Order: sequence, then structure tokens, then C-alpha cells
Amino acid sequence: MSTIELALRIFIVDDEPPARSRLRDLLHDCSEQVALEIVGEAGNGQEALDKLMETPVDVVLLDIRMPQMDGVELAQHLNKLPKPPVIVFTTAYDAYAIKAFELHAIDYLLKPIRLKRLFEALTRARAAVPVQTEVLRDLLPEPRKFLSIHERGKIHLVPVEQVLFLRAELKYITVRTAEREYLLEESLTALEKEFATRFVRIHRNCIVAKEEIEGFEKGSEEGEGSGWMVKLKGLDELLAISRRQQHIVREFG
Amino acid sequence: MNNLHSIKQNALPDALPNFRNLGVTLRILLISNGLALFQALLQANGWADVPLRMMQIATLLTPVLLTCLLLLWAAQPWLNRLAYWHGVLAVDVLAAAVTLAVYYFGDELYRPPGRNDGYFDAVRYLLLSIMVCAILLMYFRWRSQALSRALHEARLQVLRARIRPHFLFNTINAVLSIVRTQPRQAETALEDMSDLFRMAMADMQDLVPLRQEIELSRRYIALEQLRMGERLRVDWQIQDAPDDALIPPLLLQPLLENAVYHGIEPLPQGGSITVALRRSGNELRARVENPYLARTAAPYPGNHMALQNIRERLALLFDVEARYKVESGADFYRVEITLPYMKENAI
Repeated sequence: MSTIELALRIFIVDDEPPARSRLRDLLHDCSEQVALEIVGEAGNGQEALDKLMETPVDVVLLDIRMPQMDGVELAQHLNKLPKPPVIVFTTAYDAYAIKAFELHAIDYLLKPIRLKRLFEALTRARAAVPVQTEVLRDLLPEPRKFLSIHERGKIHLVPVEQVLFLRAELKYITVRTAEREYLLEESLTALEKEFATRFVRIHRNCIVAKEEIEGFEKGSEEGEGSGWMVKLKGLDELLAISRRQQHIVREFG
Repeated sequence: MNNLHSIKQNALPDALPNFRNLGVTLRILLISNGLALFQALLQANGWADVPLRMMQIATLLTPVLLTCLLLLWAAQPWLNRLAYWHGVLAVDVLAAAVTLAVYYFGDELYRPPGRNDGYFDAVRYLLLSIMVCAILLMYFRWRSQALSRALHEARLQVLRARIRPHFLFNTINAVLSIVRTQPRQAETALEDMSDLFRMAMADMQDLVPLRQEIELSRRYIALEQLRMGERLRVDWQIQDAPDDALIPPLLLQPLLENAVYHGIEPLPQGGSITVALRRSGNELRARVENPYLARTAAPYPGNHMALQNIRERLALLFDVEARYKVESGADFYRVEITLPYMKENAI
């Protein structure tokens, strides 16, 4: 049980340095009773994801309120890791999140964190299973700020605000930014619902960023299309608008 | 009961308006002339008659009004020391006396040779002037009561911000994290924290020296820097700030708190808040500017409340002599406050 091989590998994510240092102190106190090892720490989501791809860990102690990307969103992206870690959320106070954690029996620690609570959480963590991505998505009151994309064994974070359009093709969704394309394994309907404020549907298989619409062009009449095409800013490719979505030409034109 | 004393809940005591304030003077002029217009409308026989009647009233009203304002301006320090109802009586007597004096010295202007009923006229004008005076004083009393709520709310709001879980628990957590390694710094942090609480619970009715508010703001920033480290930077442009100026308490600190919470915290790399305080003639100018990511920041009702409250307090204390301006662009947010410069020992 207490052999070195079985030591619990722990990673700390918090944007406030004193909060990380406090956790380190407490973990050090815990280490007398639980075999554990602090593998690393990060001050933001991107850094955490990069480091965790290199070194897999058992438990991530994850702060909820962080700039740029909050903890609940990061937890979703971490679930795409080959061996997703068990997440223990830490928070000073988040009425909404705490209620949801109780509901789904997700472990969380309230700051200032007590040694006893941390100890209990670590003891439980061995047996715990990662929280389902769907549950995490319900926990997040607002849309994600990044899409996490698997590519050659790595996970890329693509800021949603850089995405020009999302198009469903066969098994994947094509995510198009001004620079390049990515492939994403999610459902277009779910994405459309989550990002309803930013994207608008122009076709059964395509949603485009409202802000990026530059104009509309009348293309050739063919197939099921309405004949109208969307021109997006910084993109040469024209996207067909279906007959059913023809009204957007009036709304955004 | 002792501790209750420090958290006074009673309303602002009734007080006469500050007759040296431009806003008060303007309000008196507007309301008196408004009442005159009302009277002219009642007396007139047709539209063409209204200006004529108005002129007649103004010939007596204007000299009385201006003399009264001048005398009230001069008597302000003395009136200030009277109890409220004595003050009211004094103002009424003053207005009545001025009315009678102007009436008698006005001679034929108000008593054309044809009319003999001088006694009736004198009593009539006397009663009118006392009535107008009473209406004005009632108005000012009502106004100060309506606005004095803002003073109490300010304290409550600051208190609420202090015990906002986000601030309270994260700060305690930060202090705990340095207790073992830097006990002295931890002590200072706890002292700063109790100062912030104490100020929030203090009586809001008096003005405080500017240096005290600056000191408080520095302590607040020190606490936030403990948590946020390098991410929070403050550029204090206060070399030219007059130390002896008096300002309403908790004018600057809530602005800084907004700047930290809405401006700096959402930025991964942090940013710099500019605090500029300077004297310009008879005015004191305060400016707080912070970077602001309009896109990512969720609208937050507390922000609006703190700013609204500062505006109300300025209106109560300084009327039109204080100005308040908010500017926001794609990447910055700026609040500018201008208030009359008052010296510590001059009041």
C-alpha cells in the first residue's frame, strides 16, 4: 500500500500562487499518512493541459474560478486525455457549482482548505472514477471558451472566438479558423445549442459565426440549395445556404 | 451596547442646506420663480397678460430673493451652528424682514399713489414670503432625506463587498499560505484586513482626509497583491494630491475594488490600474482607469450599484459642484470624479 509505486500522483491547478503554495504545504502534511507525490502545478488551463499530456497523474486539484478558462471547462478538456485523472475541485465559493457538485456527488474542497478534508478527498480519490463530460457540461452555466481537439496524440485548445464555421462531414466536425482546419468528434446539434449566441445555422450540416459574415452572394441554382452563398471574413471559400435557412440572408444581409 | 455605538443606524440629522453651494442657490432661484409663474398664471386674464403679471411679481420677488441669498451666503457659518428648527426660524425671519424692508424702501414702486391699502399689501407680502420660504425648506429637507439613504447604503455595500465570499475566503486562504513561511507578512495582511472591515463599519456621515482614504486603498491593494502577485499593478499618480483635502469616505476604495474585480482578474496576464489624484484650482480630481475586456466580462450588478451609490452620495453632499464621469472603450474603463476642494481645517 505504501510502496513508492503506488504513490498517488497529484497535480495542482490554481491561478493564485499563494493558493498553490498552501496546497503544497497541506499535501506535504498529508504525505505522512498517504503515499503521494506532487507531480507538478499550473497557473492556467493551457499550461495544465500541456503538462498533463506529458505526465499522466491520478488526481488533479483544480480551482474553479480562473481567468480565461474556468476549472469546470478545463475538467472537460482533461477528460480527453488517454487516462483522465480524477478531479477534485477547489473553490472559495461558487454557489451554483457547489449545488451541482452535491447533486452529482463530485468531490470538492472549500477554501481555506482543511487538512482533514483534503486527506479524506485523497483517500477517496483512489477509488473514484472521472466525472462524465456530459455532467461537467451541465455544470457550466455558459458555453466553453475553447474546443479541445485531438491531433496526433496531443490535445489542442482552439479558442471558440477564432472559429469561423463548423461543418459536419461523415464522422467528424470540421472546425475552420482563419489559419487552418481541425477535426472534432462532437455532435453539431449539441455545438449549435451550446454556442447559440455566436453561431447561426446556414445548412443542415453547417453553422457559421454570425460576427464573421461578410456578405451573401447569389451562386448557381443547383441541388437542394437556395442559390445563396455566405462569404466569411478572411475566407475565400463560399458556403451554401439551404432553402430552409434562406431567411438568414435577410436577417444578416 | 457599546459595539452598537460604532455602527450607527440612525438617519442623517436634519440640516439646513448649504447656502454657499451653487446647486442650492440655483434650486432656490428656480423654485421661487416657478412659484411666481404659477401665481402669474392664476391672476392673468389671458395669455398676453401672463408676462405682464410675471413682471409685476418679479419686481418685488427678485430684489427680495437676491438680497436673501446674499445674506444667507454671509450667514452660512452662523446658521450652521444653530439647531435645525432654530435655523428654520432664523431663515424665515430673515426672509420676512427683507421682504418688509424692500417693500418699504421700494416706496412708490410698490405703492402707486392711487392705492392706499398699504397695510394689507405689507401683510400679504409678508405671508407670501414666509410661505415660499417654508416650501423651499421643506423641499430641501425632503431631498436630503431621500438622498441620505445613499450614505447608509454605501457602508452596507462596502461591508457586503468585504464579506463577499470571493474576497474573504481567498484572502484568508492567501494569508494561511504564508503563515508558516512569512509570519510577519501574514500579520500585516491580517491587520490590513481588519482595517478594511473597520472602515466599512465606521460612521459614513463625516468627511475624511484624503490621505486616510489613500492609505485604506493601499491596504486593500496590498491584500489583493498578496493573492494575485505580479498580475496586479497599480500606478499611483498622487504626487500632486493635496493631503489636507477632505472627501467622503469610501470614495476611492470601492472604485479600486471594481477595477480589480472586473478589470484585472479576468486577464490571465493581469494589468495595471491607474489612480490619479490632483488639485485643479478649487477642485479635486480623482481618476481610476483599468484595462477591461468587454467581451469576456459578464455583466455584474454589483458594479452598477457601487457606482450608483457614489453618484448619489456626491449629489447629496455637493449637488452640482461635484461631477462624475464614466468612459469605457474596447479595452479600458475610466471613472473620473471632480469635487470641490475643501481643506481640513477650514470647516
